Amino acid sequence: MTYKTDEIWEDKWVNTTCGVCYCGCGAKVRVVNGVPVKIEGIKESTMGGTGAGLCGKGVAGLMYYHDPNRIKKPLLRTNPEKGIGVDPKWKEIEWDEALDMIATKMKKIMEDDPNKILFTNQTMRASDGPHNHPYFYAQAYGVKNNGNFIIGGGSLHCGNACHMLGGLIHGAWSIAPDWRYTKYVLKWGSSKGTGSGHSAMTNARLRADAVRRGIKEIVFDPMGNFAGGKATEWLAILPGTDAAVGLAIANYIVNIRGEMDELYLKAKTNFVYLIKDDGTYMRHEKSDKPLVYDTKDGKVKEYDDTSAAWEDLALDGEYEYNGETVRPCFVPFKEHLKQFTVEWAADISTVPAAKILEVAKGWVDNAQIGSTITIEGKTFPYRPVSSVTFRGSQGHTNGIHQVAAIDLMAQLVGAEDVPGGTLGWPAIRRAYPGGHYEQTCTVGTDGVIVPSVFYSHDPWPVHAPSYPATNMGCVDIWTHCTLSHIPYVNEVDYIHEKLGMKSKPEMIFGISANFVISNSDWDVAVKNFKDCFVVQMDLWVNETDQAIGDLILPDVSYLEKDCWSSEIDAFFFSGSPSYEDWYVHLQQPVAKPIGESRFFMDVYIDVANRVGVLDKFNAKLNDYYGIKDPELQIKPGEVLDWKQIGERVLKWVYGDDKEKIQKQGYATWHKPIEDVYWRWNIDSRCPVYMEYLIHDRRNMEKIFEETGFDYKKLEMDMDQYTPLPSWFWPESHKDLDNEFDLLAFSYRDILHTNNTTFQNPYVDEVSQMCPYTFTITLNTTMAKQRGFKDGDIIWIENKYGVKEKGIVKTMQAQSPKVIGIAGQGGLWADGRPVAKGKGSNFCKLLPSKLKYFDPVAGNMETAVAVKIYKA
Amino acid sequence: MPRWGMVIDVKRCIACWGCTIACKEEHFLPPGVFFNRVLIGESGKFPTSSKLIYPILCNHCSDAACVEACPTGATYVREDGIVAIDDEKCVGCRACMVSCPYQQRTYYDENVTKREYFPGQGKTEMEIIGEKLYPFKLGTVIKCNFCSERLEDGMKKGLTPGKDEDASPACVNICPVGARIFGDLDDPSSEINRLIMEKKGKQLRKEFGTEPAVYYID
Amino acid sequence: MNDKHQDLVQTMFPSDGSGIKPYEWMISPTRQRQWIDEKGIFLWLAFFFSEIGAGLYFMSLFYSYKPGLVLGWLITLVLGGVIHMLYLGNPKRAWRMIMKPNTSELSRGIWIIGIFAAMGFLQMVTPGGFNAVFNVIMGILCLLIISHGFATMNVIKALPAWNSTIVLPLSIISGIWVGHQLLQLMFALSGNAAVVSGMEVWAAAFFLIYFLCMLLYAWGTWHSSETAKASVKRMMAGELKQITHVGVGVLAILVPLILTLIMWGGSTNGFLIFLRLVSVCAGDLAIRYLIMKSAVYRPLI
Repeated sequence: MTYKTDEIWEDKWVNTTCGVCYCGCGAKVRVVNGVPVKIEGIKESTMGGTGAGLCGKGVAGLMYYHDPNRIKKPLLRTNPEKGIGVDPKWKEIEWDEALDMIATKMKKIMEDDPNKILFTNQTMRASDGPHNHPYFYAQAYGVKNNGNFIIGGGSLHCGNACHMLGGLIHGAWSIAPDWRYTKYVLKWGSSKGTGSGHSAMTNARLRADAVRRGIKEIVFDPMGNFAGGKATEWLAILPGTDAAVGLAIANYIVNIRGEMDELYLKAKTNFVYLIKDDGTYMRHEKSDKPLVYDTKDGKVKEYDDTSAAWEDLALDGEYEYNGETVRPCFVPFKEHLKQFTVEWAADISTVPAAKILEVAKGWVDNAQIGSTITIEGKTFPYRPVSSVTFRGSQGHTNGIHQVAAIDLMAQLVGAEDVPGGTLGWPAIRRAYPGGHYEQTCTVGTDGVIVPSVFYSHDPWPVHAPSYPATNMGCVDIWTHCTLSHIPYVNEVDYIHEKLGMKSKPEMIFGISANFVISNSDWDVAVKNFKDCFVVQMDLWVNETDQAIGDLILPDVSYLEKDCWSSEIDAFFFSGSPSYEDWYVHLQQPVAKPIGESRFFMDVYIDVANRVGVLDKFNAKLNDYYGIKDPELQIKPGEVLDWKQIGERVLKWVYGDDKEKIQKQGYATWHKPIEDVYWRWNIDSRCPVYMEYLIHDRRNMEKIFEETGFDYKKLEMDMDQYTPLPSWFWPESHKDLDNEFDLLAFSYRDILHTNNTTFQNPYVDEVSQMCPYTFTITLNTTMAKQRGFKDGDIIWIENKYGVKEKGIVKTMQAQSPKVIGIAGQGGLWADGRPVAKGKGSNFCKLLPSKLKYFDPVAGNMETAVAVKIYKA
Repeated sequence: MPRWGMVIDVKRCIACWGCTIACKEEHFLPPGVFFNRVLIGESGKFPTSSKLIYPILCNHCSDAACVEACPTGATYVREDGIVAIDDEKCVGCRACMVSCPYQQRTYYDENVTKREYFPGQGKTEMEIIGEKLYPFKLGTVIKCNFCSERLEDGMKKGLTPGKDEDASPACVNICPVGARIFGDLDDPSSEINRLIMEKKGKQLRKEFGTEPAVYYID
Repeated sequence: MNDKHQDLVQTMFPSDGSGIKPYEWMISPTRQRQWIDEKGIFLWLAFFFSEIGAGLYFMSLFYSYKPGLVLGWLITLVLGGVIHMLYLGNPKRAWRMIMKPNTSELSRGIWIIGIFAAMGFLQMVTPGGFNAVFNVIMGILCLLIISHGFATMNVIKALPAWNSTIVLPLSIISGIWVGHQLLQLMFALSGNAAVVSGMEVWAAAFFLIYFLCMLLYAWGTWHSSETAKASVKRMMAGELKQITHVGVGVLAILVPLILTLIMWGGSTNGFLIFLRLVSVCAGDLAIRYLIMKSAVYRPLI
């Protein structure tokens, strides 16, 4: 029935990269007469789903281009008053005026302290830009570390703790099960393979094949929806209590069952490192290396002394070294685990003890400790069990211990980066044949892996907390934050004052973050950021722009973007964790920019040029890609736009194949199997015993004492700085009482990426056909007992009087002690009429006090004690 | 002559709605019109309840209630099993719509054509071009056609429906988890027949007696 | 700031029974819309007029009353026919509907109406038209037309509430009952008091049968299947509840009952007959409306 009329003068497909969430699946777009009309995946690419598959919101991405609400010219606030509900009285201005205004402001700030500028970055609208480059950009201004970034979309709900341990254990940003060979997968508050999380559709494709193959997938989650609803078995758990179950399983493995992969523990973990009474490593007096005990020679040796065979290293016992008693850190570890019985874990988590035991048993039974597998002539240890977590379980004040406990069970059976186990998402990228840019992890101090690329900062080696703080996030002190929580917290002024951060934030510059409504308490966000000159590059005027934005610049959507760099780091952020070829996609424009919109990288470059820091930025690019060819290097004084820079970098990265790759829109080359299952090929050790936390604690307490920073008054729990994965009650649970007796949590709906997809009419339309997407879910029985029914409008209120309205939808598959809210609804910006009034906003219910953040990694507590009542 | 059919692997499906939205783009469907949907339900009681996800589309029944009800012969079963609508013959009586136990038909009238994806803001370029590229006739009934134009164009080029993208329905191509398998029900060796046999494929509400060509496995 | 919630609630959780929560579409019993909502309302009226026209024609045969024939014929064809046309998406193509009498009840209906139109015309213009042959043929055609609307609905297996066996008797008796009432009024208006009074026995009888058929329909539907039961439940809830109470309870049953009791034994009165007719018509419309509006499809999962 397709009628091709005479009026059709163009009908083509353009290969590009999807930009609707941060996964970056390959996508191709049908363009008719210059109008994008359809989006599909790219069949040849492993970046994304089966065949030409793409998920619903990816397909719906067309609407980013067609939305008449897109801003088309720079907008300047003329109403000096800021706040939620205040009309900014926008005035359209010319680009030149806008850029001058920014440059003038920045130059003035630079004369004093560049750290007065906050940058917003990634996972805000979608990961449709270059990933790492905004960090270099900030560095070009002299901004220190990761402390000056605030993030919008995923915000601090995202993976600080997961990224930290992903980096330390796997040399990677995140983890995924080895779907291809695994048999038994435990998912903890994670929807990997069922719609969200990293490489969502790649994982979904691999998982679909795995479940068809017959794997068991057990999901611990407060609700049986996207992950739990598809699991072999869903186990209802209270938010933030995963660690209890994880520790009980670890105890079962070590102390009850007593079946561990001892060789793995001796060869690949720091369990053999000798510690002193205070828990710190005994180090070699000259080399400063941690020591181990060789039972064969009966001697203490440096950990990397090749004269000691792995199997001979001691995991237990007590030894003398330089007159001090030392013992392998596994000894206290083993002892420590004994307190975590399944009954104890059942009490905390509400998962029945028998179930925990069943899972623990299944875990060990399926781990096949000692078995090997030969793939393509190469033999690897075979451990077909995988335990993965992401946002859900780690988003609590005990986040770091949650992640550590969940990882621990995999450590104990040696199921890390071997076939069937948990894989880093991935850690290694080989150069394209005939090209350059290779990223392989290295081994750092104490034998710990150092990721080749990591956003914001390197998790290893850990830098010692230092004083005074030099950036807004105070990452000098909170050294493990991927992105810092400090700019968001209510007590920020006190923290800055006490910790010696002299400068106050004066400007925010970045990419369409919606940080006012997407992190926690809206009023605190407005208070903390409203005095800044807020410049955002955005597609629409979002809630943050409307509340506190000063200057909004029209950005292009991914469909209009020419971004060669969008997925160069794909190995690290979008690639397949599995054993399949590398694919790296370019983002190619499929249509002309809307109005006067400009790609933010070009705006960045223009501003840097006006401010006079462009050379520094260019030098960082040369350095990042390791460009050695003088013809390709960007020279001082050269002003190139992003596309022109791409011409150089792509030539360097892909060599003679550059043109071919640009033409087809993606590059593909072979991934060696050892780069997937690298664990036994790289001589490194997992710091399962988190010894560094002891030193962090000492340093921090010293700083706090010297500065008079009263962390006790702020209820910052320093006890979490312990080397042993332990149980700490999440702050939300501590708030539960007779009145505030429910825990609200949020989860990611497969249809939505943060809040931007709420403005997409295709997505909006199907969201209304979903029972849970725009509603607040309550357990059916609980709702009935409390007199609520489907369609009731209720208030949810936290202990601080912050409340949000929503529509009740009951479901059986939800713990009766929780209430669930999907995504980031409850939107009100006038610039996004489709999104307006849809869903409810969970984030605003989260209190922004320091005590509601993980004291180690800076994670938000993403559950909150609430009461509900009819509106 | 083949008889086209589909297997939907419910175990693989993750309810992403890719099929629904891709179908809307393929056929330039206005707001509120769906040839593909996903039904999401629940069965059982906490804590052992389970989520039900069923992607649905026209079943292309061989004993179709709609065909029986149509007074003009506009709706008919083609030789290849596809239930088609001749929009030159349809009088718009909607007897087919009311008769379809799967409710897979939509009446295309002014109420539908006046809708905009951005209400009150005018039609987008895509909506405007769509009305030219894929015109529907006012006052007629429309529904999923198994992308018969894709099948026909593809086969003319020597491609195989179900294997080659350009000869397969849009919803089959877009499924990111390979939950849709398309093929010939009359060919005993086809992939879909193998799956129906091995995984005991079931038609949705077989008891309606219309002999659907869409099977579900889980 | 979130007053828009109310709009969303209206869309997603309509409380008035006018729609379905979008996410419950075909997951819980889902109402048919095409043949009652929006332009579908024409079909409701068309079925009604065809029925009462044919009912009048039918009753007129027994009284060899030509004005009744003419009026019945006109109501069926003009009101019933025109409104039918208004309902169609492409009325110009209506002639195509004669193409599938073998499978389509709708197509068969078009044939019957066509034959009724021609034969009825012949009977009206033929001197001595009220002969046995004409009467039998037209009687059968009238009964077919009376039941046409419900027969069209009755064949739809997808809607259990329509697919029940008691639908056809109910529709036939209602056509006869309303037709009879119309005829009685015509006689009353033309001053034929004796006939009017004589007809009252039949009025009481038809009313009783009509009432029993209604009960039987409700009882039979309730017990036929879960989905059909859901239809009956819908009649008793939401906005339909009012129509059930007033339309069926008061107008179709209570008022005619009272008036029939008042006129018991043939003490008829033109005004009361008029009142009863109005009430009966409104009641009949209400029943048709309820049956069409409350029909639900069986959930798919």
